This record gives sequence, structure tokens and C-alpha cells, in this order.
Amino acid sequence: DALLPAPQSISILSTNMKHFLTWSPVIVQGETVRYSVEFQGEYEREYANGSWIPISECSLTTATICNLTEDISASVAYKLRVRAELGATRSQWGTTKGFFNRAMTSLTPPQLRAVADGHHLLVELADMGPSFQFRVLYWRKGQETRVQQKVLREVSSVVHLDTMEAGAEYCVKAQTHVQAINRSSSFSPTQCVRAQGDKSMWLV
Amino acid sequence: GACRVSMSMTEIRAGFTAIKANIQSRDPIRTLSILSHPHSLHKVKSSDRCCITYQLFTFYVDKVFKHCRTEDSFVNRKISSIANSFLSTRRKLGQCHEQNNCMCGEESTEKLKQILANYEGLNVTSAAMKSLGELDILLDWMEKSR
Amino acid sequence: SGELYCSLPNPRNVRFESVNMKNVLHWSAPEGTGDGVFYKVKYAVYGVGKWIRKPECKNINRTWCDLSNETSDYEEQYYASVKAFLNGACSDWMETTRFNPLTDTKIDPPMVSVSSTDRSISIVLTAPEKWKRSPEEESISLLQVYPGLQYNVSVLNKKTKKRWFFSISNNTLVVPWLEPGTAYCVSAQIHVPTPVLDSGYSK
Repeated sequence: DALLPAPQSISILSTNMKHFLTWSPVIVQGETVRYSVEFQGEYEREYANGSWIPISECSLTTATICNLTEDISASVAYKLRVRAELGATRSQWGTTKGFFNRAMTSLTPPQLRAVADGHHLLVELADMGPSFQFRVLYWRKGQETRVQQKVLREVSSVVHLDTMEAGAEYCVKAQTHVQAINRSSSFSPTQCVRAQGDKSMWLV
Repeated sequence: GACRVSMSMTEIRAGFTAIKANIQSRDPIRTLSILSHPHSLHKVKSSDRCCITYQLFTFYVDKVFKHCRTEDSFVNRKISSIANSFLSTRRKLGQCHEQNNCMCGEESTEKLKQILANYEGLNVTSAAMKSLGELDILLDWMEKSR
Repeated sequence: SGELYCSLPNPRNVRFESVNMKNVLHWSAPEGTGDGVFYKVKYAVYGVGKWIRKPECKNINRTWCDLSNETSDYEEQYYASVKAFLNGACSDWMETTRFNPLTDTKIDPPMVSVSSTDRSISIVLTAPEKWKRSPEEESISLLQVYPGLQYNVSVLNKKTKKRWFFSISNNTLVVPWLEPGTAYCVSAQIHVPTPVLDSGYSK
């Protein structure tokens, strides 16, 4: 096995609770090298003799990336490893340095669109999966001290926030919150719209 | 005391639902339950709930999951997900257990003894697989009593 | 009585079909058997040591049996089983998977009543009731069974074809400042966060 080098530059990319393992390709002239990935949670280390669990979607794959999201589904420390395979030859395992906990994921602000429909203030948010809630703040422009909040769990379409006073301008911003890791993203840029009575204005 | 672990419960429930039919089909014994007989969890006094919850999570972490390895990769991955969620949830429950000084009353100690007796009454693999197949009994009880 | 000669093909697809915890056992006739097949039904509470025959479903020729009464305690879980008979032959007992009334039932949409003034609509939602033995029996709302129950409400402006969504935990919603003389269509869905159960949208 030592003829086939272990994959290098192994790292985890994690954004918005989607976690991916990546590594550099192992080059063997004229050959197609394949890779297999396994994971180990804290439970396996502490209670199951340090066992490793294969990820079938990333077994004998030619890709140099593996989606870990379904398997990294608890707030504990995980280790990941990958090895190269060429026919019957297998490399040593290349293992992530240190541990990965999903609490380390980077959270980006939600994509938000504020909508004025007559006297009604609505918001459209891009769905980000079951782990996410959205904390939406809205206020009448000029009354920044009287900010109101709505927490939305599942966002399927245009969600109603409140009614607006005729001709008044209202502003909206939002952040995501992930209960499982008890962390929030930064806020999205503020968007303002005007209630019926004037041409709807978009301020970027 | 109130220990909020709701998000982990949702994730554990999702993991269990994905393998429930598979796991329960491996348990041929209809006439015995580890968790709910002879006394249902729903009969546990509210003052004992915090203690029993922590003890049951410890029971699953220490005794059950390690004996549930199957030939099915998907099932093994879901069991790992549930086991690791149990570990992190138990850690939170442990903090709450100390802060709230959850006392184990006589009744809950008796209930836990009964569960361990039911468990030891079977060979370890059957007992572990049956316990895993009864996870929804534990989850239903925890969610109902939240 | 001794069992008959059991070489008949087995009933197929034996399962519970449950709506609002009205729990009905269904199955398909054994392969290749025409008319004249009769069935027996039994059930068991999971973890309790005995199977119990259902007299009202003994020697029946229909392929369903209402076990709502026997499975009404949703803190328990159940198995049911069916055996077929034809011309002196019988099949094996064929069992369901383990049935958990709390997680394995379907929920009907809520009842929606709407009243309006010229510029607002008021919506009152009523969750369906759990199945009960008789009209005289005390009603239990599914709200009591699933304390985390929420409503998703959709309001469609028929003129602009724009649809708004509201997510509410209490059962009333007032939408003011609407366009006079405009038709709005309201429909609602029940959402139970855990165990995850969603009804369809009401008509």
C-alpha cells in the first residue's frame, strides 16, 4: 500500500450547516484513482472502540469532495479520514487534523426581499433547510426605537409581517438562527418599501 | 426542572423515523417491552422526570447503541447520528441535572431497575435492538411532558 | 379449535390506515383467490403478553376492520394480524408493522370559518377532534394531543393572484386593510413540529 500516497490537503468546508470534505487528488499517470471516506463521532471514539463509519456515497468515488451533511448531524467533535484506492492497492488513511464540530459552520445572512402590497408589509426569504429559523426585524422609517420582531420557522413563500400606515416607509432586515448550535448569522442589508399611496421605492 | 433540548429531539426523531421500520422488524418479540411494561413511562411523576430522562440517556449511551451494528450502511450511519446526538443531549441534560439538583425518587429508581431487568432478561443484541426500536416511546414521553 | 390445513396464500399489505386516530386495519385479499374468502383478526398491545381476538371481525369477507376502539390509548403501541380461510384451507397470520397512533396517524385540515367587513377578514380555525367511540363521549381536540400544534394560513387575492402566508399558534387571525370589493380565498394547514405531522390545506 505504501506505493500509493495518502491524499493531502484534507479540509472541511462548512457553510450554513452544509459540510463538505475536500482533498487534493492523488496523481498516477494514466490511471483513475478512487477515494473512500469514513467518519468517527465522539460516540465512536468514547464508546465504540474508536470505530469508523464509511460514507457509502463517497466510497470508491473519483471526486475529491464528499458531502458530510447527513452524517455530521450532532453537536459533537468529529474526525474524518480519506484514502486513495487503485485496483487492489490502497493508500494510508489521510485524517483531518484536529476535530470538526458543526458549531464551527459559517453562517451567512439570509437572502431577503421586502414587499409592499397595498397596506401590507411582506417578506420573501430563501429557504435554507430545516435547521434554520429567521429572525425578521421591521420598523417604520424614522421610528428606529420601535423595532418589531417575527421569528419564522419554515418559509415557503411570501410571509405577511404587518399592516402599514398609508404612505409610510417601512424597513426590514433579517438574520438566521440555528437552534441546534445556538448561533445566529449577521443581519442582511436593510430594505425599505413604502405603503400604498406612493410609488413603491427600493433603497439599496 | 425544565431542561430545554428541543432541537436535538427533533433531529433524533428524524434519524429514528428514517430507520424505525428496519429496526423494529429486527425485533420479533411482541410480548415484552423494555421501556413501557409493566409500568408505562407516562405514569412517572413530574418531579422524577428530569432524573429518569438523564438516566435513560445514560442507559442508551452506555448499553444500547454499541450493540446495534447492522449489515446496512445507511442504518449504521443513522444509528451513529442518533448516538452522537444522545451524547451531546446527555451533556446538556447533565448540566441541567446538576443545576436543578434532579433528585431520583423511590419510584423512578424502581422504574429504572425494571428497565434494566427487562434489558438483562434478553441476550444483549436482542435487548439492544429492542431498546433502539422503542426510541419513539422515549421521545413521545419526553415531548408530551415538555 | 384445531387449526385447519394452512396452505392458502396469505393476506397482503396488512397495515393500519389512521386519520385523526381513527385506526382501521386494512389488507388485500390473498393472491389468486376469488370470492368466498373469510378472515379473522386479532391485535396485541406491544409489550403485553397476549393476542386478543376481535369478535366483530371474525369470519368477515370484507378486507378492513375498525380497531379504533382497541387502539385508542395513544400512549401505547400495537400490532394487528389477519388470517384468511377458504374451502377448509387457511393462511398464516399476517402482521402489521408496529403501530404508534401518535406518530402514524394522518391529520385532517382545520375547519376554517371566515367573516368579513368591507376592508378586513376575520379567520377562526378549529383543529379536528380525535376519533371517539360515540357522539356522547367527551371530545378531545388534536390540539390537546399535540400541544405544539400550529396553523399555516394562506390568503390569496383573487384579483392580483398574490398569495400571503401567515404562521400562527393561536386559532384566530384578522387581516385588516384589504382592498374593498376584492375576493380573497383563505385556506389553512395544521403543522405539528414534533413528531413531524402536516395536514393538507383546507379547501
